[in-house]
Amino acid sequence: MEQHSQQFKENAANALADAGGVAQRDILALFTPIMRDAAVAEFGPYEALRQHVKRVRQHSLDNLDYYLARFELEATNNGNQVHYADSADEMNSIVLDICQQHGARKVAKGKSMVTEETGLNDYLQRGGLQVMETDLGEYIVQQAGETPSHIVGPALHKTRDQIRELFLDKHDLGERELESISDLVGEARVVLRDHFLQAEVGIIGSNALIAENGYSMLVTNEGNGDLCANLPNVLIICTTLDRVLPRAEDATAIQRLLVRSATGQPHTCYTSFYSGPRRAEDADGPLETHIILLDNHRTDILASDYSDMLRCIRCGSCLNHCPIFAATGGHAYGWVYPGPMGSVLTPLLTSLEASAALPNACTSCGRCAEVCPSAIPLPDMLRDLRHEQSVEKITPASWRQGLRLHAWLACRPGLYQFLTGIGIAVMHRIGRKKGGFRSLPLAGGWTSKRDFPSPQGKTFMQQYRQRSRSNEQ
Amino acid sequence: MSSESRARIMARVRSSCAGNDAATIERELAGLGVAPAAQAPHEDSCVTFMVNVLRNQGTLDVAADRSTAVKLIGNYLYQHYRSHRLVAGNDPRLAAMPWRDGGVLPRFGEIEEGEQIALSYARWGLAETGATVFFTGKHNPSRNNLLPEHHLVLVDTDTLLPDLESLWREVNTAIANGSRPRGIHCIAGPSSTGDIEGQIVYGAHGPRAWHVILMGNVSPEQQEAARALHAGKTGPAPA
Repeated sequence: MEQHSQQFKENAANALADAGGVAQRDILALFTPIMRDAAVAEFGPYEALRQHVKRVRQHSLDNLDYYLARFELEATNNGNQVHYADSADEMNSIVLDICQQHGARKVAKGKSMVTEETGLNDYLQRGGLQVMETDLGEYIVQQAGETPSHIVGPALHKTRDQIRELFLDKHDLGERELESISDLVGEARVVLRDHFLQAEVGIIGSNALIAENGYSMLVTNEGNGDLCANLPNVLIICTTLDRVLPRAEDATAIQRLLVRSATGQPHTCYTSFYSGPRRAEDADGPLETHIILLDNHRTDILASDYSDMLRCIRCGSCLNHCPIFAATGGHAYGWVYPGPMGSVLTPLLTSLEASAALPNACTSCGRCAEVCPSAIPLPDMLRDLRHEQSVEKITPASWRQGLRLHAWLACRPGLYQFLTGIGIAVMHRIGRKKGGFRSLPLAGGWTSKRDFPSPQGKTFMQQYRQRSRSNEQ
Repeated sequence: MSSESRARIMARVRSSCAGNDAATIERELAGLGVAPAAQAPHEDSCVTFMVNVLRNQGTLDVAADRSTAVKLIGNYLYQHYRSHRLVAGNDPRLAAMPWRDGGVLPRFGEIEEGEQIALSYARWGLAETGATVFFTGKHNPSRNNLLPEHHLVLVDTDTLLPDLESLWREVNTAIANGSRPRGIHCIAGPSSTGDIEGQIVYGAHGPRAWHVILMGNVSPEQQEAARALHAGKTGPAPA
């Protein structure tokens, strides 16, 4: 997928200028945390579950060589063909080869952020295949020629009216009203049902790979992933090597965390586990199954100080709780993964230069770390990425000099307090009549949007000392 | 090439890992223990299962015996389709049902175009999630679970399991006995989507309705407890 992360500020400004989009995002930012909190409260020992899964995920990553080899062995024994792909291009090429070997023309695809990452749809379409996204949200954005705005709800940025216009334009089904959301879902069901039944190849992702038995876990509400996994003659599971877990019960522990964190449900309508192709005695199922394990810089992450990021289970909870994501929406981030997890992952999977704005798209409020089911220290990682940007001189020189000056002062508390004391006293004297400043030198970014309140006369440390003294007396 | 990529990837993975031997890894894993399960709405697994079926937007009937179950199925078919026909997998337990008692006319096999109701016999019912669990295979074609408009499911009370860990104990036993299923479907509700403006619609791709018939000894007190708990609170919405 083409990256536009460098235009984050312009994208964000455009998103903020769209009043309808802002209102829609405000509603989502209000309700998704409420639903998640209710599900967490109802679960009971949620924190114990969270810490358990964190330990299991860390153990899996610490011993990934062992579990990856075990999974490969079990999956192969189950009749799967297991492939390794170093890069996005290699994964795309493997998928196209499989499709061409089977003379496939139609592909039914379940929701998979990994294949968004590799740009698989465009690749297969250039290879002459008709690829249909079957998750409703993914189908909508595919028909609209857009990209997902959220890793769980890809089309939540679109209104029902926009989708109605889209369907009337794209589906050649004669005159109809499509007044309700049910009508829209019903029409997509009819259109996609034909595609499910005709597709020669199904492509899905995986929420977990189980090393002890070679199964792959798939979690959906719509059931589209299961239709992709069961109806076509060939099934391709596109996933990444960090999805491997030791035991089946570890996958179910992830299931408990994932769904509650993602949608506030206790579980999805469909949780399925697939082991391989159909056997002679089976009534149905794919004749051939492939599992493609993508690296695409994940082994670099594993070897880096950012390896905690590989614990991410793609629930989207950090997106739902991030004030920046709520304000700008997912498209502003300019690549596959938006929000806090995207701001960490995008520089690691692409480059720090191409994603320079993203680690700075953070207020350091810490909500993402509080709600992350894998307890990933996202704000710390964003801070470390900003530090790396500064070290590598990606950050503008004026910022770096300003930060150096601040660091120099902060290391001299006496001088810092003396100078801030003078500054605050001067600003208080100048601004006390008007109550605020409309413009300030070196703070144009602030005062271009709002007034800077006039300081009350003393710094925090001055007031603290004053109160301490009066308490002693 | 995939084999070359495998070698490169595995080399990089190995260089980042601790390099422990299998016994150490397995010992460390065993020391991590098991994950806590969700607190159940009721101490009785049967009541918890029924509550969760209802919270999953399923509908529920309880039948003391097979004859009653067939009559309830017949009523459901007539109520929704003014019909007596359905498709059922080649499960010997389904073949042995007294279909005449309910005037039901089953066709055994895989669902075909134009057929709207499928009946499956669940291998287990899972109290923790209210899911009905199936092995895909000769007796249970996966498409019968996924393609009908209405999916009817029979579950025996003596196959109810309390939580996901107990489900995997059963599955692992089946695998150890050489009966590894190709697919395991845990179905907990009708197909749903919240992808348009977050509004929940049922029947996104799969069944619009999911009707569970719990067969066995379920007391009126258990049924009342389940309905009372469900009336107090329904489940949250999917996206």
